[in-house]
Amino acid sequence: MKDVPMTPAIEMKGITKYFASTQVRANEHVDFSVESGEVHALVGENGAGKTTLMNILYGLIKPDSGEIIIDSQKVQINHPDDAIRQGIGMVHQHFKLVPSFTVAQNILLGMEPSQAGFLNQQNENKLVDELARKFNLPVDPAARIWDLPVSMQQRVEILKVLERRAKILVLDEPTAVLTPQEVNELITVIRGLSKQGYTIIFITHKLIEVMSVADRVSVMRAGRMIGTKKVSETSIPELARMMVGREVLLRVKKKQVHPGEAVLDVRDISLSDVNGLAAISHVSFQVRKGEIVAIAGVSGNGQTELVEAISGMISLDGGEILFKGKSINEASVRERRELGMAHIPEDRMVVGLNLQTTLDENLIVSKYNRSEFSRYGFLLMQAISQFAEKVVKAFSIAAARPGEGIAMLSGGNLQKVVVGRELSGNPSFIIANQPTRGLDVGSIEFVHKTLVEERDKGAGVLLVSVELDEVMALSDRILVLYRGKIQGELETATATEEEVGILMAGGTLEDLKQYSEDKEQGENREVKS
Amino acid sequence: MEGFFSVFTVELLNSGIRLATPILLAALGGALCNQAGVLNLALESKMLLGAFVGILAAYYLGNSYGGLLVAMVAGGLLGLLFAFLYHKYRVDLVILAIAFNLIIVELTVFVMRAMFGNVGTWSDPSIARIPDIEIPFLKDIPFFGPLLSGYNIIVYFSWLATIIMFVVLYKMRSGRHLRAVGENKSAAETVGINAILLQTLALVISGALAALGGAFLSIGHLKLFTRNMSNGRGWIAIAAAMFGVNHPVGVFLASLFFGFADAFSVRIQNVTDLPPNLVKLLPNVATLLVLIIIGLRSKLALSMARRRFRAQLRAEEAALPGESST
Amino acid sequence: MKDGRFRKLLDAILVPLLAVLSGLVLMGILILFLRKPLFESYAVLFANGFGCREYGNCIFITALERATPIILTGLSAVVAFRSGMFSIGQEGQYLLGAAAAAWLGYAIHLPPILHALVIILAAMLVGAGYGWIPGVLKVKLGVNELLATIMLNSIAALIVEYLVQFPMRADTSAVAHSPVIDESAQLMSFLPGSKWGVGFVIAVIAVVVVYYYLWRTKPGYEQRMAGQSRKFALFGGIPSDNSAVRAMLISGALAGLAGAIEVMGVHRRIMTGFSVGLGFDGLTSAILGQVHPIGVFIVAILFSGLKLGAQIGLQLKLDIPRELGGTIIGFIVLFVAAGKFYEQSIVRARAWSTRKQGSNLKGDSG
Repeated sequence: MKDVPMTPAIEMKGITKYFASTQVRANEHVDFSVESGEVHALVGENGAGKTTLMNILYGLIKPDSGEIIIDSQKVQINHPDDAIRQGIGMVHQHFKLVPSFTVAQNILLGMEPSQAGFLNQQNENKLVDELARKFNLPVDPAARIWDLPVSMQQRVEILKVLERRAKILVLDEPTAVLTPQEVNELITVIRGLSKQGYTIIFITHKLIEVMSVADRVSVMRAGRMIGTKKVSETSIPELARMMVGREVLLRVKKKQVHPGEAVLDVRDISLSDVNGLAAISHVSFQVRKGEIVAIAGVSGNGQTELVEAISGMISLDGGEILFKGKSINEASVRERRELGMAHIPEDRMVVGLNLQTTLDENLIVSKYNRSEFSRYGFLLMQAISQFAEKVVKAFSIAAARPGEGIAMLSGGNLQKVVVGRELSGNPSFIIANQPTRGLDVGSIEFVHKTLVEERDKGAGVLLVSVELDEVMALSDRILVLYRGKIQGELETATATEEEVGILMAGGTLEDLKQYSEDKEQGENREVKS
Repeated sequence: MEGFFSVFTVELLNSGIRLATPILLAALGGALCNQAGVLNLALESKMLLGAFVGILAAYYLGNSYGGLLVAMVAGGLLGLLFAFLYHKYRVDLVILAIAFNLIIVELTVFVMRAMFGNVGTWSDPSIARIPDIEIPFLKDIPFFGPLLSGYNIIVYFSWLATIIMFVVLYKMRSGRHLRAVGENKSAAETVGINAILLQTLALVISGALAALGGAFLSIGHLKLFTRNMSNGRGWIAIAAAMFGVNHPVGVFLASLFFGFADAFSVRIQNVTDLPPNLVKLLPNVATLLVLIIIGLRSKLALSMARRRFRAQLRAEEAALPGESST
Repeated sequence: MKDGRFRKLLDAILVPLLAVLSGLVLMGILILFLRKPLFESYAVLFANGFGCREYGNCIFITALERATPIILTGLSAVVAFRSGMFSIGQEGQYLLGAAAAAWLGYAIHLPPILHALVIILAAMLVGAGYGWIPGVLKVKLGVNELLATIMLNSIAALIVEYLVQFPMRADTSAVAHSPVIDESAQLMSFLPGSKWGVGFVIAVIAVVVVYYYLWRTKPGYEQRMAGQSRKFALFGGIPSDNSAVRAMLISGALAGLAGAIEVMGVHRRIMTGFSVGLGFDGLTSAILGQVHPIGVFIVAILFSGLKLGAQIGLQLKLDIPRELGGTIIGFIVLFVAAGKFYEQSIVRARAWSTRKQGSNLKGDSG
């Protein structure tokens, strides 16, 4: 390891941020320091607070309290412009590039050298060539962004940041859009920049990458900084434990049910995203009657695409899905619903509900075709209203009345509307995608109780969740999704959070074995913080 | 058919260029706004305002050129108002345009009637038409001479405006910034470009240009003002901008297309029985086709990525040694 | 329960109401500018747009008749907008429907009621077909329906102009027109000397039908859901593409019907200058009428009455240019569109009043 100077490049002290709108303590007295010239990974699951911390550093968010010290000087960062002036550059997950412009035009955007307002294309290309050479990040200055692969676009974003004299680079989940080969290339780039003296912070949940490129790693969990370790002195299992370690275990009482035959059979499915990269790659699994199968994993690993494929909102590129024994590849969303599929979507306000209309109209979106709700093309208003009444009572939805709007309902009650709609009609298979996101404790309990009830009644439930608590509490089996593939499968009864955490972070069976070996050796290993 | 071909004279081309001019001016403005990411459907209103204010100013100032300037200022102010309402109150662009179009059509006649009595058309013998200019050197060029010389200053200005717009948009900093705003506003704002300022500027300039186009109709051509004088040319300008894919050169050619069709349709009535309106259909149908092609292209691009992925999958499966796909 | 619905209604019409009031105030300002009598002007305007004279001759009837095509093109816009299709193609569909009606009115000969029915059906089919084009272009090719309908309007206008000047031309008079349609094709009017008749009844029926269609039938429900939230519709299994195209078919048919009625009930033929922008008037009625059939009905009549009052009353009686009517309507649209301004003012007013209340309470608790 190279010698790192004593004064840290960045010190964040006592950062606290509370979001009133979602009632979330995103950062709680977080201390974070980064040495000059090092590669520092900031890891944590969804909601750990790492993105918030970096947004505060970059001036996109103001902290409630705490201070930022750069090169031993306390600074005020109220706007990205201030951050840039301090030499901080951020590469976001969603690139800010102009697709029809060239590489050079994008890198120099807003700071083009000009004579009396006139541009010099050749000059710009030369400048960018020099820049690329200086950092050993070869690019073609005349190439247009929309012709370039995503990894190259990311390189342009990095160069953009470097051109603006950033000394500290913050990369937000940089490998989310890269193929494994491209990840290696990026790692080389990062190492190269670090050798040149640049400080690099990158946010990730993928521990494998952390181990191969970072000097030090800081782990956050539930808004708190758990600890910082030198990569050379830690391991994936240890980091995973820090990431997911729980004090309290939530367990919901479940009946001992023996699962029946498979209601959903996913066979070797693959699906591409908008860029033509694999979002889901050769995934196979089954969900049987009377069991809850959880798909765990940090968001962005293919969960959304998987759910869209199963529900029929998007068509497959490869493989087959069988429902109750029959192939449904060609079946529409409506047909799948009629076969007994229900879907609680991850975005209840935009996808699961139409907030511009009434409760009744929301409740019948998947059922209006049925003879009890429509005849000869006409809607049976009274029947629909009575149904709405029934659902409100059955699920105790507060402040909701048939014929009235639902826009004013709380998150918990909105979810009750969704759940009430999806579960009435006794579905044989339920997709529950992040079903308790943003809900209060009481509503979370309600959703959990309901899902378990359905399972006990014999339905098959596919729970997709980034909340490890939820996954451990509700499921019978856990499948971990990582980079669009099933990283591993565990029986919930015998699994531990750490094992799931390892898989979620990209660890393999090797790491799992290592972990169980560690555990056997008991408390002999000391955890240094 | 001999009569048909007799229509193709230099005079036809001259007329075509003249008829294209108001369209060109408004379309350049429209294209500029489109490039800045703000759809400007109110070109008709700006044109009409320019026609009215222009001829009024020419009358009161005793100077037609002065009328042109005042018209441009009026159009620019209307564009400024449009920008203000759009940015401050988030008014829907289309509804805003419809409102402006409606108001100006009626308001101009209202003011005309309020000022000059209950007339349907207003004119005054003291108003001088903008004179045609013969450019000494150009007019003597064989064959092209009559095509390039002999127009009034507005026509030449419209050519100049085309060139200037091309240079600014593609060779100058502010032009590039404007295009960046239109294509990815957040990318531009992230690097510190003032998107609102640029969009407002685009709306003001397009207002001035469209108004000049309208003034061309009143002071530069008919020497009068009448209700709804622009007669849909603002909408044709919108089509020309679409057809020219918002590029100054494309817009120039598209405007010529519309102008020639117009000139052609008038002259052809005298020589054959071919219905004139069908000729004017050509540029409109062509614009619709351009829209369709643009739509097809983006649809194709999306599906290309997926098709490549599927092909890759099939290749992988073929390469796998003897695994049966269940 | 009742209170809630009343509240909702109030909220819905508050901004348009304020906009109309602002428009009338603006009108007053302009009248003062012209140094014309203020209150007399308002009185004359309303009397000549909506009033009745002693001997039962109500000008209001004319307002209703003038409103008829606007109601229908407005309904056309409502159906399109509610389905998420921002189509402004009413003008073109209206013209083609009118041309079809004018042609069939003299080209074929059928017994009285049958003739009219056939023509109406044909005009609706033609309008629907022309509405289908932008619908399918949007759904299959992603073509922006706003831009497409702008072009289609121009194309329709040119085609109809051609038809009137050549194949359908009746004689060599200066203003080209088609032959007068058979009596069997004409829509009868209810009062002598007025064109108000069967056409208006059809418009009223259309209002009711569109209302029921949108809010009480399956396809109407599908259209509204797809129009309000595409993701929600996709998620729930609603076939959004079909419903968008269907909406354009209905929208086109309504506009075509408007054209047919104008020909059959008013002009009895089609001529150069037939198009006076009634398609756009319908569009503005839809915007002002909060995209609701009943709103469209009320606004269209208000619209027409205002224009009429300005035309007959202000112009003829007080020598105020009649374009004042149209100008104010344009401003009202502007005010409605800039509704945010009113919303902000209302919020501020409410905040101010609650602050006053709050301070009163503090005083009470002492």
